[in-house]
Amino acid sequence: MDFARSPDPAGPPIPVKIIVAGGFGVGKTTTVGSISEIAPLTTEAEMTEAAIGVDHPRTASLKTTTTVAMDFGCVTIDRSLKLYLFGTPGQDRFGFMWDHMVNGALGALVVVDSSRMDDCFQAVDYFERAGIPFAVAVNAFHGRLEYDLAEVRWALAVNDRVPIVTFDARQRTSVRDALLVVLEQALVRAEPTRTF
Amino acid sequence: MSGERHGRPDPEPIGRIPPYLRLPPAGAPPAGTPGREPAERSAAPRPFVLTAGRVNAIDPEIDVETQVTLRPHDPRVGRVPVASLGPEMQAMVAMCREPTSVAEISARLRLHLGVTKILVADLRAAGYLDVHVADTLNPLSYDTILRVMHGLRAIS
Repeated sequence: MDFARSPDPAGPPIPVKIIVAGGFGVGKTTTVGSISEIAPLTTEAEMTEAAIGVDHPRTASLKTTTTVAMDFGCVTIDRSLKLYLFGTPGQDRFGFMWDHMVNGALGALVVVDSSRMDDCFQAVDYFERAGIPFAVAVNAFHGRLEYDLAEVRWALAVNDRVPIVTFDARQRTSVRDALLVVLEQALVRAEPTRTF
Repeated sequence: MSGERHGRPDPEPIGRIPPYLRLPPAGAPPAGTPGREPAERSAAPRPFVLTAGRVNAIDPEIDVETQVTLRPHDPRVGRVPVASLGPEMQAMVAMCREPTSVAEISARLRLHLGVTKILVADLRAAGYLDVHVADTLNPLSYDTILRVMHGLRAIS
């Protein structure tokens, strides 16, 4: 049969993911695009904000349906491991979506614009409560920050164990280093539960 | 042993095959994609028209990064012909000759994520796709994280 190419005997790669979160316009898509080996793709997810789980014509008018866009890219780690990066909207009402997204994630990078930090409170709060390893990365637009990192830490009220770094979302190696900080957090979390 | 079963998901259909993808008992043609009613012609169809309005039948195991591949056809297991699948499903079958993530299928076919998950689950039940859910169960081991770090450090 010449219909299909024979499948790779090793099977598909094992996917892992890191969430890139933050408020609108802080540079999530730029972050994903800087390190992804494919141009970032956008997928849309439909959120039903009320009456989730109810699908009945009579309740249709009570539902508010919102479509949220999510950008993602990927990095091939080795033959059998592929890292996906998902840029997710940061607003509180998308918490439902985040529960689906962060399931199985290695960790999260919360991207912050230091001139409007209030945009990332929801994300920081969410990952803290969900117990997801995360780091805060302040996107240094034009190479400078409005506030220093100690001020950012104070403003966000994150505890000392959460790393806060500056990075440039446009620079591949800068994004790489920020992701490594997230993974170091994940490593610390993974160690005690090592089972063998 | 032919080695054919190496790491392969169970060839049994997983999940319930939706009626429109079942082989007809007496040779009647399959019903075709659900929701293809004249009523949808008015404007752009709403996203969940493609799933016949199902929004809750999402297999919780299917995640955004879950890898999907074409299932090699086993002639002993009947399945509806490709031509009877809807255009979106045919496109999915074509894409999945290479391992593809659910998110990528959704983005490239411009389908909502929720719609994509339902159609992927349908095609899995119908015997067209393998959904590699077991591979995503515990990617969070110490060794996996170290491998990812190692791979990232190689980026310059």
